[in-house]
Amino acid sequence: MKLKNDDLIFMYKTMVRTRKLDEITIKGLQEGKVLAFYHSSQGSEALAVGAASFLRPDDYLWAHHRGHGIGYILAKGGSGRDFLAEHYGKATGSCLGVSGFHFADPENGALGAAGTIGSVFPMSLGWGLAAKKHGRQQVTIACFGDGGSNRGTLHEAFNLSSVWKLPIVWICDNNGMAQYTPITDAYAKDDIADLATGYDIPAVVVDGMDIIAVHEAVQAAVEKARAGEGPSMIEAKTKRFREHSIGSPDVVHNQPRTDEEIAEMKKLDPIITFKAKLLEQGVLTKADVEKINNDAEAEMAEMDQFCVDSQIPDPSILNTLVYAE
Amino acid sequence: MKQTIYLMAIREALDEELQRDDKVFILGEDVQQGTFGTTTGLVDKFGPERIMDTPLAETAVAGAAIGAAQAGFRPVADMMFGDFMYIAGDEIMLKAAKWRFLHGGKVNVPVVIMAAVGGGMKLGAEHSMIPEAMIMHTPGLKLAVPSTPYDAKGLLKTAIRDDNPVVFFYHKGLLGLPGEIPEDEYLIPFGQADVKREGSDVTVVATSAMVQQSLAVAEQIKDKVSVEIVDPRTLEPFDLDTIIESVKKTGRVVIVDEDTKRCGITAEIGMQIMENGFDYLDAPIQRVAAANMPIAAGFMEEHVLPQPKNIAGAIEAVMA
Ligand SMILES: Cc1ncc(C[n+]2csc(CCOP(=O)(O)OP(=O)(O)O)c2C)c(N)n1
Repeated sequence: MKLKNDDLIFMYKTMVRTRKLDEITIKGLQEGKVLAFYHSSQGSEALAVGAASFLRPDDYLWAHHRGHGIGYILAKGGSGRDFLAEHYGKATGSCLGVSGFHFADPENGALGAAGTIGSVFPMSLGWGLAAKKHGRQQVTIACFGDGGSNRGTLHEAFNLSSVWKLPIVWICDNNGMAQYTPITDAYAKDDIADLATGYDIPAVVVDGMDIIAVHEAVQAAVEKARAGEGPSMIEAKTKRFREHSIGSPDVVHNQPRTDEEIAEMKKLDPIITFKAKLLEQGVLTKADVEKINNDAEAEMAEMDQFCVDSQIPDPSILNTLVYAE
Repeated sequence: MKQTIYLMAIREALDEELQRDDKVFILGEDVQQGTFGTTTGLVDKFGPERIMDTPLAETAVAGAAIGAAQAGFRPVADMMFGDFMYIAGDEIMLKAAKWRFLHGGKVNVPVVIMAAVGGGMKLGAEHSMIPEAMIMHTPGLKLAVPSTPYDAKGLLKTAIRDDNPVVFFYHKGLLGLPGEIPEDEYLIPFGQADVKREGSDVTVVATSAMVQQSLAVAEQIKDKVSVEIVDPRTLEPFDLDTIIESVKKTGRVVIVDEDTKRCGITAEIGMQIMENGFDYLDAPIQRVAAANMPIAAGFMEEHVLPQPKNIAGAIEAVMA
């Protein structure tokens, strides 16, 4: 699919909205409105939005836990308000306020998110299997971190997806870090993509800070999957701008990351670089950029107010959620 | 005696045992920095060969610890959150628990599997569990559930020296709990309950954070009811005798636990009291435990996990 100007603008807007939603979630955490924790996605917006834009609503999505999936959710047409309300513990949240930070949006193909990192590999396999059985050319987009790739579940899932030729696009957000442990001490090779080729799954490594590079790679894989040609894997090299979990120490093992290191990373900010490109190409004007920014801020302020005003769940719902009638 | 807090007592136990026995080492995700502070700083003293940061791979962490234990070491595997032990269910419940028995007693498994457990932080269904029943249910595993800094240190040192697999649950809600510990080295033998508060009207049996909650409730209602609180400290081995002695005195029992009620440890302890102390009971046993549902996050957590008012209510009911 050739990207039209409107598509580029959609992607830019969605990255900006993702960043603003991330910021307001951090603020909410600091103000005590967000009740559990938050793992900021700043630095990986190009991957999330590049991967999940222009999918079909019925394509299945495993959104990576970073940002608790927001970039993927927004790009796929999901609701930021449901996301924020869930974090505020409100009845209007995506999981009625009982989950704290998980996300489910079946209409948009999101059947759930795990608190146990790497535990969605096998379920993605099930979504891929279902997609194949449905016969409607759906695909499954399954997104995990470099840390998650260390789980044994990856191997079971990669293997079977290849053997069964499932329509799954495996996407790795490789930001070089798990929680405090760097990938260099957790994995012996340079590219996680090599794990896929080991199972005969075609794989590419892309610059995860470049939304167009990500999008083109994912779309090519999606087209193959829709055509019944089986799984692919994309490894995107990204950056994690913030500490692992907001408020946790920003360390590698137990050594602090330096301000210079972070500043160096932020030069690659995917939103700033994409903006510069769109301005240069005349796709956006300075006024457009400002409007997109202001609109996103207004949207977030409105969402925040909505979530603050929303009711706390009625505890009588809890029993109704354990089993289906 | 000296003042400390729960997490420092744990760190001190690890420090002393690492110092004492070079067969002891720690492995787990992010243990060099320490997610909950229990292992923080140990790498500076003992180096990365003995304080090993692992990849995000729970089966590998538990399995490697268990294998090294069989081969002569005394590893301590930190699983971060207790909920993540389910990922290493095969390793912990089928291998660590059974392999001594299954191989005719030829090979011991002196491993410690430790994890931060429990609710109160509103973290929801996959980050809040205290899976005591799962472990107590599994023959071959020992289980320590300390409720104070003193117990945490003494029990962890015993756990590391034990020739069997020991699961050691440290409660997230107790990490900052202050308390006194001896200046000198001490160990707490497994299978010795501790009477945390003496009383004459009712026996409350509680574990981990529920001991602290029960103590607070007992203090609040002390003018009306004299509450005795018995903390088993280890669930396997389990000291029923101390509980029965208490029941002889009070005739009434409330069992308080944070794990799920259905098939939970309250059921097991209650039945053991029925089998061995029925004649001393003046009223049906009451139990307080988590509702039979996954642990909800946020504002809903308190509707699933036991609260002080539930403990007070159960005491009132057993006294009625
Ligand atoms: C099974 C499991 N183990 C450990 C954790 C704790 N934890 C949460 S996120 C994380 C690091 C994940 O790293 P990665 O997959 O690379 O994603 P990133 O956070 O870097 O985006 C860890 C260790 C968890 N939630 N689940």
